[in-house]
Amino acid sequence: MSSDLLFKPVRELAALVRARQLSPVALTELYLDRLERLGPKYNAVVTITRERALSQARRAEGEIAAGRYRGALHGIPYGAKDLLATAGTATTWGAAPYREQRFDFDATVIGKLEDAGAVLCAKLAMIELAGGMGYRQPIASFTGPCVNPWDTDAWTGGSSSGSGAAVAAGLVPFAIGSETWGSILSPAGYCGLAGLRPTYGRVSRHGAMALCWTLDKLGPLALTADDCGLVLEAIAGPDAADPTASERPYRYEVADRRGFRFGVIPDVTDGCEEAVIANFRSSLDELRKIGTVEEVALPDLPYEQITRTILQVEAVSAFEDLIESGRIAELTAPEDRFTPYAREAILAHDYLKAVRLRGVMAREIDRVISRYDALVAPGRINEAPRLGQEFRSAIRATAKDVMGAVGNGAGLPAVCVPNGVGARGLPTSLQFMGRAWEENRVLDAARAYQSLTDWHTRHPKVDERLSE
Amino acid sequence: MPETPNPEAVALFALVANRYGSRLTTEQLDEIRKMVEGQVEAARALRAVRLTNADEPLQGFTAYRGEP
Repeated sequence: MSSDLLFKPVRELAALVRARQLSPVALTELYLDRLERLGPKYNAVVTITRERALSQARRAEGEIAAGRYRGALHGIPYGAKDLLATAGTATTWGAAPYREQRFDFDATVIGKLEDAGAVLCAKLAMIELAGGMGYRQPIASFTGPCVNPWDTDAWTGGSSSGSGAAVAAGLVPFAIGSETWGSILSPAGYCGLAGLRPTYGRVSRHGAMALCWTLDKLGPLALTADDCGLVLEAIAGPDAADPTASERPYRYEVADRRGFRFGVIPDVTDGCEEAVIANFRSSLDELRKIGTVEEVALPDLPYEQITRTILQVEAVSAFEDLIESGRIAELTAPEDRFTPYAREAILAHDYLKAVRLRGVMAREIDRVISRYDALVAPGRINEAPRLGQEFRSAIRATAKDVMGAVGNGAGLPAVCVPNGVGARGLPTSLQFMGRAWEENRVLDAARAYQSLTDWHTRHPKVDERLSE
Repeated sequence: MPETPNPEAVALFALVANRYGSRLTTEQLDEIRKMVEGQVEAARALRAVRLTNADEPLQGFTAYRGEP
């Protein structure tokens, strides 16, 4: 099996599979080999699902040979963040107290991907409890800090850390992650990938670890924005097991359009590294080739405090049993063992004020964003932090992230794509955030940007670096 | 001169210390004190925005009935 296949987008792999020029079984074996050989070096993998993968791949191969092609994900390997329940294997939530946890059913997303013919190869590493306990360093996972394939001294970002590392290192062509606030865009941005945070309710959360019931979203990390659209179509849709999963139909439609209207929030680069600011300005120059860019002011609201308060309260409630029992002391990151106790002091009145203000925020942002195809901003404020370094975070109020606060608080879709490199040669990123239920519009914009740039075609020299 | 502690933060920290102090170290309690002060600041920002009676939480509640 040729290594030329590595780093081919899903769309290209799918064309080869459909034409029977590429065997799903051989493709699966290629990725299983890489997951087994390289996964541990990145701390990217919790469980390799070899038997299940080969069974699914053989079935896909047989169906395709018989003329029963299911679509773009048929026979395509992938990995899932280890907060998605899978029957027959452990689902650890990245946390030592849950390392033996098992469910007897598949999460809805896993089931939908099975229906699409995709091949589950691995459960991928993650920050313990999806980062909801207030972690501030990359070690916050019982599987160790996730290593960035671009630089083995750098972190991947989190909390979908293994999803970022695995796609960036060519261990799987795409992966599923989750985002409560930043957990898809952070690893995608730091690892030079496309990451899509869908509208809240677009994808069923059934079988996914609950961190914050009103903030959690599941979405893909892949090599291109186009691939994210292909995956979203497979996982979106209503689900009787999750009342928040919307009945709104979703079909990924590829439109080769121009004439976009982009908005930029004033001071959106405050606190960003110099290279991030420079790359963002270059990105705006590119975007002006395909549309207009104008500054747009948001109403004066305490966006970060609204989303942070909701997140903090829902997270301690979701893990009340772990916290009250004292087993929280078994978590890996020292700060995760005590930070949640502070949140017990958030008053119910203030929480409800945040929830009411969220409604105001959602209406106000919709009024603003409806005039644009997307608001654009740097995907991250910096290059990937070093492995041994504490990082800044809006969730802990040590960094600004109005886009993240608004986007997650109001449940809006966003896609990030690579847009350059920083001072240390690590990827920087650009995000497009759109109106609720307008994933196709932000994907159109991101795809148009990627048609003008080649950052997404650059990949880390994975094997060579590790053999040094 | 040290800043005067915010009385609300002091009271809320006391609540946490009273409930969970026995399982926390002095250093952890000191960090929690700072976090509670940050939460009180965030609450002030929330309280500063005036809402009307019509400003309801966005999330809806629906009455549940099992089958049949």
